[in-house]
Amino acid sequence: MNPLKVQIRQTFSANRHQRFSLDVQFSSPCGVTVIFGPSGSGKTTILQCIAGLITPDSGQISISGEDVYDSSRTLDIPTQFRRVGYVFQHLALFPHMTAAQNIGFGIRVNGTEKQRLVRDALEKFRIAGVANHRPDEISGGERQRVALARALVTQPRLLLLDEPFSALDDELKEGIIRDLKRWLTENAIPALFVTHDREEARALGDRVLLLKDGKIAGEGDVQEAINTWRTNIACA
Amino acid sequence: MNWQALVLTAKLASLASLILMVVGIPVALWVAYSRRRWKFLAESVVALPIVLPPTVLGFYLLVAFGSESWLGRWYQHVTGGTLAFTFRGLVVASVLYSLPFAVHPMVAGFRGVDQKLLAAARTLGAGKFKVYSRIVLPLAWPSLVTGLVLSFAHTVGEFGVVLMVGGNIPGVTQTLSINIYDSVEALDYRSANATALTLLIFSYLLLCIVYSLNQKLVLWENR
Repeated sequence: MNPLKVQIRQTFSANRHQRFSLDVQFSSPCGVTVIFGPSGSGKTTILQCIAGLITPDSGQISISGEDVYDSSRTLDIPTQFRRVGYVFQHLALFPHMTAAQNIGFGIRVNGTEKQRLVRDALEKFRIAGVANHRPDEISGGERQRVALARALVTQPRLLLLDEPFSALDDELKEGIIRDLKRWLTENAIPALFVTHDREEARALGDRVLLLKDGKIAGEGDVQEAINTWRTNIACA
Repeated sequence: MNWQALVLTAKLASLASLILMVVGIPVALWVAYSRRRWKFLAESVVALPIVLPPTVLGFYLLVAFGSESWLGRWYQHVTGGTLAFTFRGLVVASVLYSLPFAVHPMVAGFRGVDQKLLAAARTLGAGKFKVYSRIVLPLAWPSLVTGLVLSFAHTVGEFGVVLMVGGNIPGVTQTLSINIYDSVEALDYRSANATALTLLIFSYLLLCIVYSLNQKLVLWENR
């Protein structure tokens, strides 16, 4: 069974004359599926629909075999019940909370068990030293790790990554991607990773979907497909 | 300086401001985040005291508090008393009159909170109550204080509604602003000046608090 099945249609009106239509259908196996494509092709919209942050015009979305959205049945499970981890492009760390409080925000158990889970996440993502610092007091790489730990500590059924590494230099990126990959494998969490960076796609992804003008223009193994599409995307 | 009127005014403004915090926060959250098409109708009702002459509001409140109205009859049935020309009536009137002064700064503060943070909280399993209590309210606290201070200051300075609903009963409904009017009518300019100057300095200090908080908020956001 594929952990994620998506079929969505969504039309946006930028103004009276400009319209953008997203019409995609795909299923995603275990591992990391990269959604690759140029800016404005609808990558982030797909993630937002899956997380329930926006409601598509029509379609069906199921996560781990459970339907979370089905327009034919007017089913639309609210975001907070979808058990989906989401790492935003600008991270969206809570500025008034420490790193540890950010990570602990989504944990449903209280007391020592919560403390243990937060401590484990801090250690696995190598940020124990900044546990009591607020986001504005730590580096970009550390903020990145806090955002990942916060999304993963709740054991989501699916992790959504919206270009979270775009502001990092290559060296930092490499270390974070390595730790993220380890966590995803150890905990068998499938992920959908939006990027337009080939190196990031290669480093983290197993499979890739090419998105162009709101439609799936191709799919395949990440290592082979990225090279094949090089020319197409450059022209887009 | 009429100390009795000062104590009564402080008591009235404190009570009204506290009630406005309890009532104003949910109203402001709804105004800030609701997507209802008819939201403008409710917003207009909340903002009405800003444009309405205080005597108009005071008149209708007096009618509503009277024994001829269903509200007045209900209140009399429950408590055995009346709201008109009582301190309780003044509290109710002050809450209604100062509602926009509490709600508007809060709405501006709530709308200023980054929507991505709310979305992030929801993806982490937080329902509306947790999102509001753990993210929105702590981040928008200067706007809450601004709302509290403005509603307090506005209640201290209100005149028309107080006169209509409460009359001028010393120790019961005579606030500082009514006391100034009373002193002027009695040609006691010395007493009127003392009270007016006190109110002037008090209002200035409160506005200093509001603007320093706003400055703090800007610095916090730009860190």
